[in-house]
Amino acid sequence: MTENAAGAEGAGEGETPPVHGVRVRPATVQDIPVMAGLLVRLKRLNEEFDPLLKVREDAEERAGKVLQADLGQPQSLLLVAEGTGPDEGKVVGVSRALVRERPFYLPEREGVIQDIYLLPAYRRHRVGEYLLSETVRQLKGKGASLVTAEFPAQNQIATRFYAKRGFRPIVSTHAKRL
Amino acid sequence: MGGALPGSRTEPDSTPDRAAEESQQSREAEEETREISRRAVDLARHYAGKIEVVPRVPVRGLRDFAYWYTPGIAQVSREIHRDPGLAFDLTGRWNTIAIVTDGSRVLGLGDMGPEAALPVMEGKAMLFKYLGGVDAFPLPVRVKDASGLVETVERLEPALGGVNLEDIASPKCFQVLDELRARLSIPVWHDDQLGTAAAVVAGLLNALKLTGRRIETASIVLLGAGAANLATARLLKALHADLGAMMVVDQHGILNAHREDMDSLMLHHRWKYELALSTNEGRRKGGLPEALAGAEVLVAASTPTPGLVTAEGIGSMAPEPVVFALANPEPEIWPAVARAAGAKVVATGRSDFPNQVNNSLVFPGVFRGVLDARARSIPDEVVITAARELAKGAEARGITPEHILPTMDEEGVFPQMAATVASTCVELGLARVHRSREEFLALARERMERPKRLAEVLIRNGLIPPMPPEPTGNPSGEMEEET
Ligand SMILES: CC(C)(COP(=O)(O)OP(=O)(O)OC[C@H]1O[C@@H](n2cnc3c(N)ncnc32)[C@H](O)[C@@H]1OP(=O)(O)O)[C@@H](O)C(=O)NCCC(=O)NCCS
Repeated sequence: MTENAAGAEGAGEGETPPVHGVRVRPATVQDIPVMAGLLVRLKRLNEEFDPLLKVREDAEERAGKVLQADLGQPQSLLLVAEGTGPDEGKVVGVSRALVRERPFYLPEREGVIQDIYLLPAYRRHRVGEYLLSETVRQLKGKGASLVTAEFPAQNQIATRFYAKRGFRPIVSTHAKRL
Repeated sequence: MGGALPGSRTEPDSTPDRAAEESQQSREAEEETREISRRAVDLARHYAGKIEVVPRVPVRGLRDFAYWYTPGIAQVSREIHRDPGLAFDLTGRWNTIAIVTDGSRVLGLGDMGPEAALPVMEGKAMLFKYLGGVDAFPLPVRVKDASGLVETVERLEPALGGVNLEDIASPKCFQVLDELRARLSIPVWHDDQLGTAAAVVAGLLNALKLTGRRIETASIVLLGAGAANLATARLLKALHADLGAMMVVDQHGILNAHREDMDSLMLHHRWKYELALSTNEGRRKGGLPEALAGAEVLVAASTPTPGLVTAEGIGSMAPEPVVFALANPEPEIWPAVARAAGAKVVATGRSDFPNQVNNSLVFPGVFRGVLDARARSIPDEVVITAARELAKGAEARGITPEHILPTMDEEGVFPQMAATVASTCVELGLARVHRSREEFLALARERMERPKRLAEVLIRNGLIPPMPPEPTGNPSGEMEEET
């Protein structure tokens, strides 16, 4: 089961100053291999929460392809966070999102945060908050007036993280193996 | 207690001899261990239990039961009901502990279950009494999960002055210790963590002194990330060791904040996760060889894998490194090999080499101390005081590369440790009784002496039967006749 949490419009308004020297910027083709690695780490973390989130053998290769495809799409948004100290210039975090239409509901344009992941050394220092607010800001720039996030229902960290930024559950995904 | 090795200095060219001698020594020790193991089973059958409950009060006749039991005891009960703290004065609670295990990691044997853990806990209870004068009840419990174990121990608290956790698998043991320390108002100790870590730290303090190093700046490698080393890391942190320069190596290599298994550790082993975040600031990758390059101290407390630490590894460390190879029975590297490769101070877990790192040096004194102070807890601060006292204890005979820790026969150390622990508890506001260090010392001496006198009397009067003669020719035949 995954949760889909929605945040009020306008979260993370304006420029946010860099936190702990971490810099957030749009992803480029060169970032893809590292980003793919980070995405797979996130999926493996998700796997810990539910056996129906079992990661495929070829997940990393697939992640590369997915990211490659995302990069060319105007509706998708890929941001990376660059580290500091021994990680100077290295990608230590990633967010992956897209904007989509909602045919039945208002507001019409929804920004969906599909993945957000930081290396452990960068957690709990508000870097996640910074990366999230940048993501939200840029989704807004792409016309979204609602932002949602997807993550495994059992991921308490994510639940708390988003709740703190004003997100609440609006739909939930219930799964059953066939 | 085996004697020190003959000839304490090693010239490099005598090394092959020394190494051969040590592995010969090891083979003999193994043979001896097999011999001892056989006899231990016979003796266990012969004595059927290693401890027993004996009254502390005189019984001149049946009428005295009126004081020790009804009707008199009802008043004692009322008094304690009015003031539960009186249980420490009016009953034996002040000197009673439980040795609790779920049997999930018995010695090096793995998950043996609570029944099979009983002889081990009994043996420990015997040591507690004999070395520390502590009345310890062996209590293996049938419970699997950490919270169940915590709850079980919590329910035993009213009868106890302290708790010794023993032989609980990692990482369960960390959660159980942390939670019980927070919840109970009596000291809770996990000997595989704290006892070993205190002995390691004591040895390290002296080894660093001998090699002209400071704990704040020494670069330390921990091999193995089990109960002992994680607790050692925690104590070293409290002693202001440079955690950023420290490297912890487990079966997957050097812990570092970016390692692939970090998210899994975050969910399943947050103690190791935290350590990975706070150590190895340079994010060095690789295995033990990469970690050892340039390091000054190695503390190996790994699952026994002989040959894990090589002479080349020691050779790649900083000059005159300190090497603790604590795996039992076979250390990660033989002392002679380590010394020939340049190690200045070598310690092992074995009594037949110099510098035995042994938790029996620690728990009797610590428990004597906390029980005499009727302490509410044993925080790491107190553990460190115990370690410092142990380090100081070695000075009585002088610190040398072959004597960084007292041996078990340097008995003067234990009451001193007890007194220091007790007065530290007073200073920290953890004690229920307040006495001077001298008074605590006198108490500890008396209370640690008592079990030896008891045993002497019981043996002299034949109440403890003499050891059956060692079987000759027909093994164990003699003993079966006797029982
Ligand atoms: C989720 C994540 C991006 C948050 O980034 P972060 O930099 O650690 O978070 P912040 O420091 O900005 O903290 C914001 C709040 O999130 C919550 N939070 C973050 N990490 C948490 C943790 N390990 N446990 C509990 N709450 C946590 C807290 O409420 C925190 O506020 P607090 O520190 O005042 O308690 C990051 O922790 C991460 O990458 N985790 C692993 C991947 C993941 O779970 N992603 C989300 C699902 S897509």
